[in-house]
Amino acid sequence: MNKSEYIKKLTSELGHMPYGDVKDIIQSMEEHFDEGIGEGRSEEEIAASLGSPEELAVEFKDGAKFKQVMKKRKLSDNFKGPDGRGRIFVIIFNLFVGIEMWLVLLAAIIAAACILAVDLAAIGMIITGLVTGILSEFMLPFIFLILTLICVAVFLVAILILGIKYYVRGLKNYIRWNKNVWHYGLGEE
Amino acid sequence: MNSQIKKGILDLCVLALLEKGDSYGYDLAGSLARTVEVADGTVYPILRKLASDGVVSTYLQESQNGPPRKYYHLTDAGHKKLDAEREEWIKFCGEVNGILDKENGGKADEQE
Repeated sequence: MNKSEYIKKLTSELGHMPYGDVKDIIQSMEEHFDEGIGEGRSEEEIAASLGSPEELAVEFKDGAKFKQVMKKRKLSDNFKGPDGRGRIFVIIFNLFVGIEMWLVLLAAIIAAACILAVDLAAIGMIITGLVTGILSEFMLPFIFLILTLICVAVFLVAILILGIKYYVRGLKNYIRWNKNVWHYGLGEE
Repeated sequence: MNSQIKKGILDLCVLALLEKGDSYGYDLAGSLARTVEVADGTVYPILRKLASDGVVSTYLQESQNGPPRKYYHLTDAGHKKLDAEREEWIKFCGEVNGILDKENGGKADEQE
């Protein structure tokens, strides 16, 4: 295994560790390889003496778990250090940007639904008018109007389905991202 | 040697290596692996854990050839931890040896 293979394997084994930690670990391992190469050792030799990337990843993850447990015990530390900055960021971002953004998008979806309702009501009224003969004098323009309104309705339904789908998906991701920042900080040192 | 036994005491070994002076990862890995039979990589998770516990601090320093090295430094808290645990370990080793060493153990029993 050469340097890049080793580092790639180690990175994938580290899995869901916060990005900042993975970056830091990879930096250390790259430094280790470079030092060894500077001494004239081969990449394969260095990789072999480092031990298997799988086992090394397990040791890194065990250490991180220990760190998290230690951190959770101190409530006062919630808003200190890099993780604390992450928490403050989450609160401020949500207060001034996050919640507003999701409310505006929700308002847009509700507005689209209202327009759709008005549109459907208009179609219904015109059809009733045509059937009962009240509007029979302007048959042709009203049929065109109905066709136009139906097109608008189809368009709105499509927009609504996509809008709601991505709203839910986006909101889920957004909440997950918030949780991540809350627990692990912004991935800085 | 059993890896579980080794694991617990390696933190202390790394602290002891750093007591001699600040050092960087590659150097520490070599020192540790030369004395104790472990893989070179073992030192890195330990260093991360020690740094997050605050017993070790880190800084970057230019090296003559190549990119800057990350140096590790034993903090005051680290010195305290090392002194306390070293004493405990030596005492514990004495006790364990007393039990494990057949001749001495046997004689000690006879004398009592």
